[in-house]
Amino acid sequence: MKKFINRLLVQLYQIPWVKKRWSNRFKAVESERIPWVPLTKPLAQCKVALLTTGGVHLKTDAPFDMEDKHGDPSYRKIPSNISPHELMITHDYYNHEDADQDINLVLPIDILHKSQQKKQVGPSTEFFYSFMGHIEEPHLSTLIHHTAKDVAQQLKAQHADIAILVPA
Amino acid sequence: MQREIESQGIVTVGISLVRKISETVKPPRTYVLKYPFGHALGEAFQEKQQMQIFQDCLEILESANEPGIIVDSPYRWRRHQFD
Repeated sequence: MKKFINRLLVQLYQIPWVKKRWSNRFKAVESERIPWVPLTKPLAQCKVALLTTGGVHLKTDAPFDMEDKHGDPSYRKIPSNISPHELMITHDYYNHEDADQDINLVLPIDILHKSQQKKQVGPSTEFFYSFMGHIEEPHLSTLIHHTAKDVAQQLKAQHADIAILVPA
Repeated sequence: MQREIESQGIVTVGISLVRKISETVKPPRTYVLKYPFGHALGEAFQEKQQMQIFQDCLEILESANEPGIIVDSPYRWRRHQFD
């Protein structure tokens, strides 16, 4: 029944005014101070990280938890040299029929490789990171205070210069 | 997430499909597309479209000069011709 309701909601959110109504009511975590570091070298020399909230993970990894109605604050590591065919999506809260066919819609691996071939950006970090974007309290605090810090520190250890974050 | 990564000294840009949420959360750099959920890079297998959106993100990384900048995409879903 829960999966049926989720599928119904996912279809509804594809209607623009329903999406707008949802966003007007959505209580996002409000922030004041904005972190900021300037870009100090050419993009072609920058090491790139990709992150997605599309629920992407290796087919061999445990899927994100769809049973907990508050979401899953964990993350999955994705080797940056992975083939898209080795990935799948577990996420009941958006329509990923197209992204199932073309993972670039939520994790632009092939697009990044093409950009790298054109020397627009530098190499990839060893890992990219994936999350599930539908997270409420109490898991939201875990995401902000633990998961986000952990992933950010891992990216720093991999000498990432730039990060591109893609939502679902 | 984006704010935490930037705090570690990594320059970030995030795509957003909901401008209002980005205005509240205030990530360092945001690129807003009025596209449906699940389609941040556009339509499936439309490489020109996906490359353009990706390059727009790179352009924001290079050109953004104020914290919290939000750039609105000019593209209309399934209406814009990407050449």
